[in-house]
Amino acid sequence: MTPNIFTSFLNETGDIARFAGRFFKEAFKPRYEFAEFLRQCFFIGYKSLPLVAITAFIMGLVITIQSRPTLVEFGAEAWLPKMVSVSLVREIAPVITALICAGKIGSGIGAELGSMKVTEQIDAMEVSGTNPFKFLVATRIMAATLTIPILVVLADAVSLYGGYLGANIRGVVSWDLYWNQVFDTLAFSDVIPSIIKTFFFGFAIGTIGCYKGYNSNKGTEGVGLSANSAVVISSLLVFILDLLAVQIIDLLSLT
Amino acid sequence: MITKTEIAEPEVQFTNEPVIKLSNVSKSFGTNKVLKDFDFVLNKGENVVVLGKSGSGKSVLIKCIIGLIKPDSGKINVLGKNIPELRNEELDKIRAKVGFLFQSNALYDSMSVRENLEFPLRRHKAKMVKTQIDELVVEALTNVGLAHTIDMRTSELSGGMKKRIALARTLILKPEIILYDEPTTGLDPITGKEISKLMRELAKTYHTSSIIISHDLNCVKIVADSIVMLIDGKCYAQGKYEELERSTDKKIQEFFL
Repeated sequence: MTPNIFTSFLNETGDIARFAGRFFKEAFKPRYEFAEFLRQCFFIGYKSLPLVAITAFIMGLVITIQSRPTLVEFGAEAWLPKMVSVSLVREIAPVITALICAGKIGSGIGAELGSMKVTEQIDAMEVSGTNPFKFLVATRIMAATLTIPILVVLADAVSLYGGYLGANIRGVVSWDLYWNQVFDTLAFSDVIPSIIKTFFFGFAIGTIGCYKGYNSNKGTEGVGLSANSAVVISSLLVFILDLLAVQIIDLLSLT
Repeated sequence: MITKTEIAEPEVQFTNEPVIKLSNVSKSFGTNKVLKDFDFVLNKGENVVVLGKSGSGKSVLIKCIIGLIKPDSGKINVLGKNIPELRNEELDKIRAKVGFLFQSNALYDSMSVRENLEFPLRRHKAKMVKTQIDELVVEALTNVGLAHTIDMRTSELSGGMKKRIALARTLILKPEIILYDEPTTGLDPITGKEISKLMRELAKTYHTSSIIISHDLNCVKIVADSIVMLIDGKCYAQGKYEELERSTDKKIQEFFL
């Protein structure tokens, strides 16, 4: 009997949950793969810096340029830095950065682990006395969980700078005035929840990329499928987690 | 054409001391029974080739022996330990004494040749100092005739070179047993013959016992002390190459046509 879509969805959700559970079970027991963790932080975090920075800069610039006419219409042009800073820090920078990372990191991990799986490199690692789950999976999930929030902080800063340039294309806002307005507007309740949710984004991206790659099959075709589905599922998860985070922040009256 | 002198003669007298003993090993994947109460013994110093059709369970057999696949039932005794019952730490100790050459070589793409060879050493012998590791890496590469490739990336190597490097990585821990999964598949006949001769030489140098999964009769002639025919999940026949080649049994003849 062919399993229907709903059953396979539930099966896969269960498998992903078990996979995430295995991460918590194995990641914090010795032997710690610290060198590999640092290597992954370099690849996942440092190597994503230029892409995240450029995207954040453009987003800041574009959001400011697009918002200006509406605010001018209501005579609220002076509120531009306030509005832009809240929308960038609370929502746009974390979500766009997470989506960029889902594309770059999720697909990279999915394809790398998938190709290691089909070429028996994961088996070879196990035969060499290495727990491949700890060495390949735990290090990547931890690196994604810890570096994506750092990338988001960077994206916040760069996008706000983009916003400053955007505000000065049609108008004149001094450097001091812009940043005073930004920091007067932003409170810890804007910054902290938006950074906390990015740990969950990072965990989801790392876990899905690793799950898809580690369980890859069907040869080279499977590698492509792993990379593709890692991006699709982790991007979708970013939105679902964002929706949940907004609800929780609202319930806790942090807005 | 393989000459008579290239056909394996037992240079190393193997003893009746079993290093691997399988008793009633069964393994199924869904409804497909791959191994059915399979019995097998590998003695110290012996090189046994397992012949069987594609999908007959040859690779499953050696993956069960190294603990990558768990059998449904039966005992797999390797160097005195029953593999399915071992905890991970105990299994790692056995794996340090059993080399495995993968069909696809399984060299790590992200590492250089040196790092590929260092990897099992750093894992199994964590206390070894760098100079010792360097010496062993150079020795293993010299034994396969590829000392000059030490700082190359694996992507820069030809198929035959990759196979030799994989062989060097398998040998670097000086294993007592080596499991070869289709060692000459994907190689041209000349390189395949070179690899087969190298396997034979290295078995003498390192005093290893080995199980070789192969379809390549040229390789089988060179490396086998004896051959096990794996048919319908069972050990159908066992004997020397010449004996099996002369057999009138149709199922055996199919392999030598």
